[in-house]
Amino acid sequence: MEAEELSRALAPALGDRLTAVEPFPGTAGRVRFRPDGALDVFRRIHELGFTHLSTVGGIDWVDHREVFYVAWSDALKQYVFLSTDLPADSPHIESATSVWPSADWHERETWEFVGITFDHHPDLRHLLMPDGYAFHPLLRSFKLHEPEELEVKVRHV
Amino acid sequence: MSEMWINMGPQHPMTHGLWNLRVRLDGELIKDVDPEVGYLHRGIEKISEDRHYNEVITLMDRCCYVAGFAWEHLYTIAAERALHITPPERAEYLRVLSDEFQRIASHLMWYAAFVQDIGLMSPFLYGMRDRDLILDLYQSYTGARMTYEYFRVGGVRSDLPPGFTDQARKVLDWLTPRFNEYDQLCLGSDIFHKRCDNLGVLKANDCVTHGVTGPMIRSAGLKRDLRKDRPYSVYRQLDFDVALADSADVTGRYLVRMEEMRQSVRILRQVVDWLDHHPGPVIAEELPRWLGAPYAPVGKEGYLLKRHYPKGVGFSAVEEPHGEAQAYVVNEGGEHPYRVKFRSPVFANISAARQYMVGYRVADIPPIMGSVDVCVGEVDR
Repeated sequence: MEAEELSRALAPALGDRLTAVEPFPGTAGRVRFRPDGALDVFRRIHELGFTHLSTVGGIDWVDHREVFYVAWSDALKQYVFLSTDLPADSPHIESATSVWPSADWHERETWEFVGITFDHHPDLRHLLMPDGYAFHPLLRSFKLHEPEELEVKVRHV
Repeated sequence: MSEMWINMGPQHPMTHGLWNLRVRLDGELIKDVDPEVGYLHRGIEKISEDRHYNEVITLMDRCCYVAGFAWEHLYTIAAERALHITPPERAEYLRVLSDEFQRIASHLMWYAAFVQDIGLMSPFLYGMRDRDLILDLYQSYTGARMTYEYFRVGGVRSDLPPGFTDQARKVLDWLTPRFNEYDQLCLGSDIFHKRCDNLGVLKANDCVTHGVTGPMIRSAGLKRDLRKDRPYSVYRQLDFDVALADSADVTGRYLVRMEEMRQSVRILRQVVDWLDHHPGPVIAEELPRWLGAPYAPVGKEGYLLKRHYPKGVGFSAVEEPHGEAQAYVVNEGGEHPYRVKFRSPVFANISAARQYMVGYRVADIPPIMGSVDVCVGEVDR
């Protein structure tokens, strides 16, 4: 399945919830959609045979955040890449767990690291970081220590 | 009897790494499980944003310490797509050579640990003995036994030393009859069957729903192997079969991994023969120095200067020994990736633990978790 074919399969059911379908190397295509219609997009993608959700991830573009999903179809032997942009001040999107239960941990990780909230997620709590950890480490505003910031104390004897 | 939560881990012999399996028990019966991971989180995705493209490869070895090459390969494919670089063919064969030896080494490590979990001691020693032969081969061409740092964006670091292919053939000849011996030790034992048959069953449908991949999904009878389904590198030119079982239980996963090792030997024989007859460059030409190109005459344009690469994104997926691993590299120009995202197969396989553990007994936990082949390094990243 190529991007055009994917676009033809998705466009009638999704209408303006679909923003664009672009070719994307290694996958059937990159489907860009409006975040408010996320659940319909997930359902439609699932109906097309992409029943296996591989991963969920997020990117901090500073002025906005992107959340992406990768799903696999056993019949087509292909991946599909979904992505959408969320506002940086309140990034939230409907959880995909009702369509793909495997989204559970991946969404927890994305929430924890990129600060994207997944609405109606059954169990949105810390996964890799300790409970109560107050930062989202994969945001660009979270800086790793620069070498010169670390104070090296030399003891003279 | 009242139910209670028990922590199996983080320092439990069953875990094979630093993670914690919380189990809710009613007597001996498992009512619920809640895996807790993150003890080994090193922030590899975050650190990658601060490293040159080739420096990330160093981190990849640490991602999964028993299958470093698979992760190096995963990352280099994604980075090459993001940077629009094509590696030479010989480099691709060298990568597959490394990958497939790694698959055997990783499965042998699994075999050694798994059989010990179910109470058979001697297979542990045999597994470790034979894995060492592969590590010796790695040492001869990468200089390292565990963290190789051999792949480069655009190829591999160096060619094979003289006489390597003969040595590799010797190892393959040695390994071939060993798999039958392993089978005799395990499948010939009634204890093995009593402990492993019909245990940890996860049917193909549930595997798909819960994101499980690798030997676990193939043991459920679903023919799914990225080397066949979406051939990357030179797998299209190689002749091999996908290992399958249909019992979807612990024994099935054992059978799949054993058959995978045999198929890897088959692939390796073809790769070694190819390498003997096709000399050539092992790294792409015209790479800038910051991508680790070999030293070039000073002043030759494009080498010492920072070559500007157009922006791009790269997505790759490879069949790692544990399952399907994916990488997503975002190149916004410059020497560092803007964002790197990894999908670990074991992460997804553990997240489905509730599906294949609830309803079994406490004593079944070690064989079930052993059959999942947990590598905490790639779960936590």
